[in-house]
Amino acid sequence: MNEVLQLELIVGIIVTFILITIFVLSAKKGNFDDQKKMMDGMLFDSPDDLRSAAQQEAKQEEMRKKKRESKELDK
Amino acid sequence: MSDVKCSHCQLVFDSTVMIEEKDNLYFCCKGCQGVYHLLKDDGLDAFYDKMRNNTIAPPLENDKDSSSFDLESFKQRYIKTDADGFSRVDLVIEGIHCAACVWLNEKILNETEGVLEVSINFSNNKAKLVWDEDTVKLSTLIEKIRLVGYNAYPYDFNEVSQQSIDAKRNYISRMGVAIFGVLNIMMIDVAKYAGYFLGMDREVLHMIHLVEFLFSTMVLFYSGWIFFKGAYYGLKNKIINMDLLVSGGATITYFYSISILFGAKGQSYFDSVAMIILFVLVGKYLEVLGKKSAMDSMDRMKSQIPLEATIIENGVKKVVTLDEVKVGDIIEVKNGEKASVDGVSIVKLATFDESSLSGESLPVEKQKGENIFSGTINTGNVMRYEATKNYANSSLSTMMNLLEDALASKPKIEETTNRLSQHFSLSIIILAMLSFVGWYFYSGDFEKSLIITISVIVIACPCALALATPIASLVGISWATQKGLLFKEAKFIETFAKATTVVLDKTGTITKGKLTVKHQSKVLNEEHLALLYALLSGSTHPVSQSIKKYLEATAKEIDALSLENIEQVSAQGMVAHYGKIELLGGNAKLMQRHGIMVEKSAYTVYHFAIDGVLISSFELEDSIKENVTELIAYFKKKKIDIFMATGDSQEVASRLAKEVGIENFMSQMSPLDKANKIKALKEQAEIVVMVGDGINDTLALSYADIAIVMGSGADVALAMSDVVVQNNSLLGIKDAFVISRRTYRFIKQNLLISLLYNLITIPLAIAGYVMPLFAALSMSLSSLLVVGNSMRIKQKNKKLKKEK
Repeated sequence: MNEVLQLELIVGIIVTFILITIFVLSAKKGNFDDQKKMMDGMLFDSPDDLRSAAQQEAKQEEMRKKKRESKELDK
Repeated sequence: MSDVKCSHCQLVFDSTVMIEEKDNLYFCCKGCQGVYHLLKDDGLDAFYDKMRNNTIAPPLENDKDSSSFDLESFKQRYIKTDADGFSRVDLVIEGIHCAACVWLNEKILNETEGVLEVSINFSNNKAKLVWDEDTVKLSTLIEKIRLVGYNAYPYDFNEVSQQSIDAKRNYISRMGVAIFGVLNIMMIDVAKYAGYFLGMDREVLHMIHLVEFLFSTMVLFYSGWIFFKGAYYGLKNKIINMDLLVSGGATITYFYSISILFGAKGQSYFDSVAMIILFVLVGKYLEVLGKKSAMDSMDRMKSQIPLEATIIENGVKKVVTLDEVKVGDIIEVKNGEKASVDGVSIVKLATFDESSLSGESLPVEKQKGENIFSGTINTGNVMRYEATKNYANSSLSTMMNLLEDALASKPKIEETTNRLSQHFSLSIIILAMLSFVGWYFYSGDFEKSLIITISVIVIACPCALALATPIASLVGISWATQKGLLFKEAKFIETFAKATTVVLDKTGTITKGKLTVKHQSKVLNEEHLALLYALLSGSTHPVSQSIKKYLEATAKEIDALSLENIEQVSAQGMVAHYGKIELLGGNAKLMQRHGIMVEKSAYTVYHFAIDGVLISSFELEDSIKENVTELIAYFKKKKIDIFMATGDSQEVASRLAKEVGIENFMSQMSPLDKANKIKALKEQAEIVVMVGDGINDTLALSYADIAIVMGSGADVALAMSDVVVQNNSLLGIKDAFVISRRTYRFIKQNLLISLLYNLITIPLAIAGYVMPLFAALSMSLSSLLVVGNSMRIKQKNKKLKKEK
């Protein structure tokens, strides 16, 4: 019984520390800067919003790539 | 007639005043109509689903030129370039009301080619915009924002802004970890205490201690790192502060609990370690939030500063940045524009809205040679003035700098609290150390000496003492909230209760800040009424608007007439024609210019004349708020000195002071004069409460011991306030006094209870009669006593009536 408890505790603690690390990193990155917006997004964001957020990320990636390429060409 | 909702802003209006379209579309104005169709055409109508039940203000009228956003000087000041070559600007977006507004602005910008990233913070309406300057100009992006009914201003994102953001993020992560740790420890504690009373295997107890150890280690050394840092810097500067007591107490308890974990007999206190850190951390986080919100308001205020000035050089107009304006430069200010630096007028006559400085709602007439102040708005024709100060020394910039200083030095009461707790902390640490040394030499038993030392620290842990003020304040504050009063911090209750002097601003505080017609010399016939109404409709001046409202309220029906040759006479009134009839409406100067004699008056008077004959005169006054006399009577009864400060003339101030029963009044006060008066009063050892509402009061508010602002006050004034009267009622100020005085009495009772507790229990602990567990229990009991006493604050209604 105690062995099972010990194993559960070890797994639980490892998972906990991983989650805490993710939380700390995301907080430092600014994910919780605007709690109002975050709560609203959690409650009301539609699939369309999520899709456009993904599209936006792809657009950003592409723009950065193009900019880098044009900078290299300039050099 | 029926009420219908505007299809864009969702505000409800009477159907007769709405613009109606097919498909049951109604619009309250052309702005709403335009934005609605624009969003529909661009496929952004999801905006209306996202609005849900919210309403927004009708679109802002933005006919301003946005080309200044592309100026080189603007770029140098506000635009930064990142490593990839993208440009970044930080903006304040005006007009954001709900999540849908944020969505719309982000969407419309994100869909523009060349925009890399837009992030609008819903809490403070600030936006970060990253874009490619080679693809799109910033002015185009600003126009897009304006097109959908919002407006954007740049703000200076500097090191201080970044530091305040970093501090907030730091606290969020540390507090999140502490909350997580404490919640888990509390869950485990249920099992631990059940086992304490019902029995538990040593092995299981050991496991529980181990888990608690892990969580409390995380909370103590990650979340509580701030306190270790504070204690270290305190010691470095030879100061014993609260941080040392918190970190020291928690660390000793932590190491004692570790000794239990490794086999020593006794109770572990890992839960106390985590909880002490969390509770103190929450208090510190609230402080950080308060400071950040005040800084955000400052940024909003700064965003209203004009970006550039138009100077006349050798007869040629030149647009320059504010820093480039030199003393002696001739500056041109168009109608509606703000004066950029201080100077003197070189034109015969001009009018300026100085409400941001003096609080006076009526435009002020400026003759040649009179002072023009930066930040005031030209309400008349295009005018020119000569700069007498550069931007850095002008009134607006000086005020901003003083406000920033005040913001940085505001927590003066906190310093007093820290100083008090320093002595207490030092005494406890010395006592605990003496107990350890004494017991060790007396008994030679290390474990017993350590347990007694821990008992002393735990029993003397200033919980009851620390709770004495905040818990009573909390009850007082919740009571105040029910009465529509917002105390920003609990500690203001004490200062408020001790206040000896109150300084009241005039406009907006004693008076309503709106002109109303007090007397009309002659009732008008239908024809004259229609002519006057048509004349008034052509002006947006506050006096004309007040009389127009008065006519609408008193007359049954007014015919609609349209006038010709309407001419605005700066600072005097209007001249217009109806067919061959000449209409004059304005002040005594306008009448005299047309050869009409009028009587002098102590009030603001609007005269109406037809073809050179005076028809009627209207006396206007800023009406006094209800309950002023009741409030003044209360102050007098409680022997609190009252002062009235105003930017108005001596006559107006004197008449009003007499009317409301205030003996001490100060007229023609600039924001700096008001602040200096507060300073002078404080130097006379007075505890000063300042009540105000405008930007012009902000500096004085920041200098006062307690700043009360009416809920309808300016953003920056609200940020500087300690207490907000949300319902704008003057009786709210009286309630604030009654509540804080009563709460303060209970705070003193609580302090007495906690001191008595310490006086009795600390000697017992030193004598070795109290074990740590009982020390913790008795500590809780003393806290309960304090909490119980505080609950009585709201109960004694009968006594309360007496206090009133």
